[in-house]
This record gives sequence, structure tokens and C-alpha cells, in this order.
Amino acid sequence: MRRWLTGPVGAMVLVLALMSLAMIVAGTSPVDGFRALIVGALGGRNEIGETLVATSALLFPSLGVALAFRAGLFNIGAEGQLLIGALLAGAAGAQMHNAPWIAIVTMLVLGAIGGGVWGAIAGFMRARFGASEIISTLMLNFVAADFALALVNGPLKGPLATGAETAWLVPQYWMPTLLPQTRLSIGILIAIAIAIVLQWVLSRTVFGFELRACGDAPEAARRSGINIGRLTWIALSLSGAIAGVGGATIVAGELHRFNTQLSPGYGFTAIAVALVGDLQPLWICVAAFGFGILESGGLAMQAAAQVPKDAIHVIEGLIILVLAARRYVATRAEGTV
Amino acid sequence: MSGIFGALIVLTLIKATPLIYAALGGVISERSGVVNIALEGMMATGAFTAVIVSYASHSALAGLLAAVLAGALVGLVLAIAATRFKVDQIVAGMGINLICSGAAAYGLVLIFNQPGASAQVPALGRQYWLLVLLAFALAVALQWVLQRTPWGLRVRACGENPRAAAAAGIDPLALRMWAVTYSGMLAALGGAFLSIGELNLYSDGMTAGRGFIALAAVIFGRWNPLGAAGAALVFGFFEALQYVLQGRIAWLPADAMQALPYLAALFALAGITGRVRAPASDGVPY
Amino acid sequence: MTGSAALELRGIRKAYPGIVAVDDVDLTLYAGEIHALVGENGAGKSTLAGIAAGERAADAGTVTAAGTVGLVHQHFELVQRLRVWENVLLGREPRKGMEIDAAAARAHVLDLAQRNGLQIEPDAAVESLPVGVQQRVELLRELDRNPAVLLLDEPTAALAPAEIASFFATIVQLAQRGTAVLIVTHKLQEVIDYATRITVMRHGRVVERMRTGETTVDAIARAMVGGELPVVAQRRPTQPRPCLRVRMPELTLDVNGGEIVGIAGVEGNGQTALVDVIAGLANAEGIVEIDAGDRPNLGIIPQDRQTEALVMTWPVVDNVILGRQSILRHGATIDRARAIADAQQIEKQYDVRAASLKTPIRALSGGNQQKVVVGRALIDDPALIVAYNPTRGIDVGAAALVQSRLIEARNRGAAVLLVSFELDEIFALADRILVMYRGGIVGEIDARDDGARAEVGRLMAGAR
Repeated sequence: MRRWLTGPVGAMVLVLALMSLAMIVAGTSPVDGFRALIVGALGGRNEIGETLVATSALLFPSLGVALAFRAGLFNIGAEGQLLIGALLAGAAGAQMHNAPWIAIVTMLVLGAIGGGVWGAIAGFMRARFGASEIISTLMLNFVAADFALALVNGPLKGPLATGAETAWLVPQYWMPTLLPQTRLSIGILIAIAIAIVLQWVLSRTVFGFELRACGDAPEAARRSGINIGRLTWIALSLSGAIAGVGGATIVAGELHRFNTQLSPGYGFTAIAVALVGDLQPLWICVAAFGFGILESGGLAMQAAAQVPKDAIHVIEGLIILVLAARRYVATRAEGTV
Repeated sequence: MSGIFGALIVLTLIKATPLIYAALGGVISERSGVVNIALEGMMATGAFTAVIVSYASHSALAGLLAAVLAGALVGLVLAIAATRFKVDQIVAGMGINLICSGAAAYGLVLIFNQPGASAQVPALGRQYWLLVLLAFALAVALQWVLQRTPWGLRVRACGENPRAAAAAGIDPLALRMWAVTYSGMLAALGGAFLSIGELNLYSDGMTAGRGFIALAAVIFGRWNPLGAAGAALVFGFFEALQYVLQGRIAWLPADAMQALPYLAALFALAGITGRVRAPASDGVPY
Repeated sequence: MTGSAALELRGIRKAYPGIVAVDDVDLTLYAGEIHALVGENGAGKSTLAGIAAGERAADAGTVTAAGTVGLVHQHFELVQRLRVWENVLLGREPRKGMEIDAAAARAHVLDLAQRNGLQIEPDAAVESLPVGVQQRVELLRELDRNPAVLLLDEPTAALAPAEIASFFATIVQLAQRGTAVLIVTHKLQEVIDYATRITVMRHGRVVERMRTGETTVDAIARAMVGGELPVVAQRRPTQPRPCLRVRMPELTLDVNGGEIVGIAGVEGNGQTALVDVIAGLANAEGIVEIDAGDRPNLGIIPQDRQTEALVMTWPVVDNVILGRQSILRHGATIDRARAIADAQQIEKQYDVRAASLKTPIRALSGGNQQKVVVGRALIDDPALIVAYNPTRGIDVGAAALVQSRLIEARNRGAAVLLVSFELDEIFALADRILVMYRGGIVGEIDARDDGARAEVGRLMAGAR
């Protein structure tokens, strides 16, 4: 019972209950509120497209966060990793003159490298100095935002741009659309593919086994000969790389330029998504779709039910707080926070 | 040149003050054995509460007191989660951060009918220098409390080995509950300083990771109040430096310079962590 | 010598999920007596002591005490980073105004120690003290409350033989002054030497009550086990061939294939560092060479199965994989079919009682968990086996099985390094005995020599 309550299904029920409560407090009937939400998120081709765009944007950082969590590492820097990945992809895409598929693949690879390096910094600091990845990944979010802002206000600023953004990609460099007449690109397929591979890696491979051992019993892992330092930086690099690819798909698939406003906090929502998905990649796909509905239907709900979209962050926080009753990491190494 | 120098010193004191409050909150919580990732949210709560109460009562002082109470409340939430429900303290802290910043953003829309920032409210004015002084006084006082008083000894015992404390007849859960509640009060005071001390409004994201910089200060200060306050001064200096240098170095854009305090915290963290020892039961539920 | 009832336990019962730890136990302690509570691991002794001391609540039954009840824990509950006087007076600090009166506290602790014939340095940090002295600190903390009843949980587990005598001198003195003392122990000779009455527990129940004058070590042991003691495998002649060679500034060690070398010593004399260096987990000045021939190098039985050997939330099968990833590797993946076969083999050879191999290992009893740890270390037939307290905290049946498997591995030509804090275990298994003291080897003893035990005891206490 307890496990069920604190598991994915219980979390979903909790979300619905809390949202109903918020609507009642705001003086709207939950029926109207949810109708607005569902219609807003799934009521038509365009709405479904936008919901899946949000799902895709959430899925990448959520998988990254989950990978790190499984290794016992609290990566709360997915936001910054995603941003750096997007920045690199956007900067390169705006300058390139190659064949379209080369350009798109290059952008995705650069996204992975950018996010990966950003994660690797935290991983290196943890492995080499024992520095808390919680604080370092969070600090790196701010560093990423400030650097990105400096670059797109300066050397990378698009010649015609009014805000803080790069030049647009030429249309040949846009990632193919998945659902015609919507913004949904094939990026979501990449995310699902990563989820499937990650599920396999975690459950079947030696690497996944060692990663989980580090997360569930670090001392037993160390004594069984696993090199924890090496695993730490690999896990945080991969975690960042997945978030970074996500940033690149937003640039190449939906936005077609880099903009400092491109993420409304996907990297933070990703923590809730990963926990609701029980840190299992395939469940996370389901959870990301649920949160995608919240993201895209939230605006419609805001208009109909008078519940501001910001309230969703409160709900996400409450979900995380409730799910914290489960144990994610066996024993944390001494002196980390 | 002395003009710049003087400005740097004054600005350092101002920028360090909220960090000192939050870092002292971090010290007291972690010395009792509860990792407080929620400092950031507690600061946001303090900053926001100070503004709305000051707005409603036209009294900045009332705002300040309300902020401390609100901080105590958030502290109590983390305390109960950590003691009564034995949650993963880090995950819970992240949840509380999201709740606090989300609730403040929600509150801006509900109360001021505008997203992003509040209206201007009565601020502390010149009195905020008293808060600067108080921060340093509290650092000294907390050092004394932890090192010299029975309560301080018991806090340290609970952070090291709560079972030993229990064997000596102390209730570690009650003690941690109080320590984390005080921690919330201190962090909220730091947040209130940001909103109605330095400024006269609340805006989304105004705490800007200071709760986490404060955590780095706790580590850098080896979990001692005076050390943490000293580290907060160092990080405050880098924040001040960034303002003073803006526009003076042509090749370095202002946006990039804003990263200075975060980079300072990162380097400090990398440099010190291997050489310090956290309380042995920090973050371990009892 | 014995007086009025100091502690009365009536109908005590305590259940944990899946097990009744204490089942309807009555026990009366009289002022001035030393009472021994014995039983196998898992018989419910420590649980009962915890209930008597008020540290945990019973599900049923009553506890009546004539005064305070003090408990000295097996694994001391001390704050390592605090000073001695801070630990002793924690919660009852003398005050001067709002501050702690440190001078008064020091004087008080010194006085308390002197009155009880114990030597202590009040300002020393507890973490800097040897284990035996740390126990004194915990004892002083309890004595400061003038307990009517003093409960001692395995008090001599971490003491050298010489320290044990002086420890009991203190305890006998306490009893003579009217304190009721309950010793929870598995060292039966100490029971015979110092206790007056004995209560034997098995599976949570009291099965026998005895007087020391009227019983023997063997009789107590049979009562604990509930029948005859299990037999350990026989040693057979072997052909020694060099296997492990350690050359470090303070320590020279050779272990041959076909022999068990026992490292005796009090906890905290460098055993952990030695094991870590051999396992390649720590660097040290010097040489560590393993000549394994065509066998795998090393199988390790770590000291603490719960944190160092097993992932408690994982199934039995996955725990059988841990540490053997390179052996079970199949491309990038793990050969799960082989892992399952290995787990089944261990289950059979070691009589592991588990609902299924998919059961999380934390659901198994300590003895069954340890069987998995030992089985995993031995299954690939390594040339060198390092066993660190391999039978700690498990029942007699499981311990005999573990010891038999170690002897059989030795008979098959494996080199076995046995590090144990239990002299009985060392003498039962080892062909040669080395004594460790303060990080070095201080002597080598042939296990079959007369007077070997006394000599080992002397060396463990630091005599040269």
C-alpha cells in the first residue's frame, strides 16, 4: 500500500487531487478546470502537437536526471546542461553551410557535447575533489545562463534579432516535422529511443549494473572493485549530454534559433518527472506525457479556471516532497553537502 | 580610486548580509544533522512575505517579522518531513524550493495582479544597516551557542551521532525540529533583507541561487558560524566586485561578469571539500 | 551478597515483521548479582536488553526497575568528535550562567573515574581513543546516573584478554556495591568465571535458567543451540605453495596455498587497512603480490555484510553478481543465465533459506545473508581468500557451515587469510597465527603449541 501510494500511480492521483483543490480554492469546479486542461492539451491536432512538443522537451532532461539519480548523484543542473547544448547547437546551426543532414546531426552532437561537458565539470569536481554535485550543478545553471546571455547579446546575436537570440536556422536545417501542420519534430522519437536504450543499459549491461550499485550501496560497490570516481563523472557527463541533446532538438526542431528564454524551467520540472516515473526510463516517458499535458494545457486552464500557471510549480514541488518519503540513495558519502 | 574602494567595501557588506543569514541557517540545520537544500526557498519565502506584509500594513518592520515567521513555517515543514517522515532530505529540500518559488510567483499574480514583480512597498530605508550589524552579531552569538552552551553541545551531538545523544537522554528528533525551524527563520531574514532592505519589491528569481551559495559558504566555513560568515563575506565580495567592475572592463560583457559569484562558489567548493569533514550524521534520518 | 529485586521483566514480547524477537520472557535481576544472558545470535538477547533499558518499547509485558537502568552498547553509542567529558555528561551538563561549566565537568568526570577505578583523560577526543578506552567512556556515562541496574551488551567483544580481567574487576566491584549487572555475551568461559546466575534464550524464549556452580561451558552451549553442536569440516594435509606475499615497512606477511593464516588482534589495530591494501582498495608503501597460478586472484568476505558486501535492496541473484561483473560479462551485458545458475549453486551448497532468488536480500536472516557473501567469494575458486570476521553476528549453524567451507577451500589448495576479533575462531581454523598490534605484526604462533592462547593474549595487549 505504502509503495503504491508513493509510486508513480499514487503520484498521478496526488497531482489530480491537488489540482482539484487548487481549482476549488480559486472558485472553479474541477470538472470545468480539467475540461479546459484536457481540451487545451489534447483538443485538436495543434493542441496535441504542442503537448508532445512539451513532452519531448521534458523527456530529455528527465532521462538525464534519472540516469544521475540511479547512480546516486543529484543532478539539479539539467536546466543549464540543456541551455548549453541548445546554445552550441544554435550557434553552429546559424553558421553552417553543409548538407542538411550533416548540419542536423552536427547540431545534435554539439548539443550532446555541450550538455555533456557541463555535466562533466560537476562530475570531475565530485570525483576529484568530492565537491557536492548538488551545489555545483546548480551553480553551473547560473553560469550557463549568464554566459549564454553574454554571447547572444554579443558575438552570437543574430543580425536581425531584437531580443537575446541567435540568427535563425535556414529552413533546410530544420529537423523534419513528425506531425504535419504542428511544431512537433522527430526530436520526440530520439527521446523515446534514448529512453529505450537507457532502460536496456540500466537493466542488462555491466555498466548499468555498476551504476545502480553506486547509487544503491556505494561502499559495497567500491569494495566490489567498481571505480566510483570514474563512474561519477561518466554518469554526470551522460546525464548532461542527454539534457544537452534535448536542448539541441528544441533549437533544431521547434524554435529554429537559440533564445535564452527557450526553457521555462524544463530542467527543474524534470526532477518531478523523473521521480514520478520512479527513475525507470519507460515510466518516465509516461510521466513526461502527463507533465506535457500540464505544460500545454496549463495556459488554457489558466484562462478558464483562473488558476495561474505558476501554481503548477507548487504542485510539482508538493509531488517531489511527497515522493521524498521513498529512499533514492542508500547512504550518501560523508561530507558531500 | 578610493571612491571605488569604499564603494566596494560598502557593497560587499550589503551583498554578504543575506548570505550570512542563510549560511548561519545552514550551519545550525546541518550541525543538528539535517541537510538544508531548502535555504533557497526559505529565502524566497522571506523575501516575498516581507513584501506582501509591508504592502498590506505599510510597515516594513511588520514585514520583517512576518518574514521570520513564514521562514519558521517553511523550516517546520522541512523539519517535520525530515524527522517525522524520515524523507530523503535532499529530495524534500528540492521540493520545498519549487513550492516556495512557485507560491511566490502565484502570489504575485493573486495579490499584485501582475507576473514577475510586485509593486513597490515600504522598505526599511537606512535601518537596514542594523540588519547588517545583526548578521555579524548573530554569527558571533551562534558560535558561542554552539561551542559553549548545553544546547549547542546537544545540537553537535545530534549531528554527529543521534543515537548516542538518545542514549544520553536527549530527544534528537525534537532537537532537530527546533534547529531546522531556526534555520528557516534565519534564511527568511536574509531573504527579507534582499526584498525590503536592499530594495523595495519582490521579483521572481530574486534570490538567484543565494541559498546554494550559502550552502557552499557553510562548507567553506567548515560548519562553524564564524567560518560560514567569513565565507559569505568572500562570496559577497565577488558579487560586489561584479557590480563595481561593470562597464570598467570593456572586453568583458556585463552578463558574463554576473557569473562571478557562482564561479567563486564553484572554485571554493572544489578547493575546500576534500579538506573538511561534515557532521557525521548530516543528512541521515534518525 | 544478593538483595532485593532491582529489575523485573514480566511477559515481555516484541515482534518485528516476520519474526518474534522476544516471546513471553520473564527475568528478575537482584541487587548485587552478576547475571549472564546467553544465547545464539538472533535469540533475542540484545532486543530484550534494549527493552529493559527503555530504549525500545515492548509489544506486551511490564518492566519494573528499582532505579535507573544503564546500558553499555555492543557498538558504543558515543559521539566520536566530542571530548570524553562532553560524552559522559551529555544531557546533564553542569552550568555556570548560560554556559557549560567545563572546569566543573572535567573535575566531575575525573572524580567519577577514580571512584570506579578507571583511568581516563577527560579532554581527549573520543575518536582518538582505542576501542577499549572508548568502552570506559560509555561505561562512565552510564555510571554517572547511579544506575540500579547496569546492562552490558557483549562488553568484552572489543577487549584484549588482559583488558577483560580489569574490566571485570570494575564490574565485580560495582556489584559488590549493590548494582544489579546483566551481561549479554556469547563468551561462555567469562560467564562461568564471573556470573552467578545464567539465563539461556533461544528463538526469543527463555529455555533454561542455571547457576554457574552447577553447570559447564558445554552444557550452556548445548542449551543455547538446543542440541549437539554442529561439526566443522576436517583439515586435510596439503601441499603448500607460495600465494600471497606482503612486504610493508611495519608488516611482513606470507600466506601459502593450502593453509589458513589467522590474524589475531583487538579491533582497531590496523586489520582493516591490511585487508584494504591486499584487496587493492588502498595504497600503501610496499609490495603486495598474489601468485594465483591459473585461478582467479582473490575472493573477499568483507567485515560488514550490510554496508560493505551486499546491496540490501537487491535480489539475491544480483548480489551474487556484484564483484564478479568481469567474470559474468558477456559483451556489454551480464550473463544472467549463468548468474542464476551460480546463485542456485550457492543456495544449494550453503543451504541458503530464501523465499526465492528474486527476494531482496534484506529479507533474509543475517546468517543466510552471510552464506551468500561467502558463497560468492568462493564460487570462482580463487587462489586467495580474505575472510574478515566471517562468522560475526550469525547463528552457530551458519557459522559452522561458513567455517567448514573455508576449511574445504584450504583443503583444495586455496590460501586463506582469516582476520578475526574472536580468538576462538582463530584457534578453531588457523594453521598459523599472527598477532596484529598498532598496525604491525608483533608475533607468530603455531596454533598447536601448548600455551599458544596465553601467548596470543599477551601479544594482543602489546607485550613484546
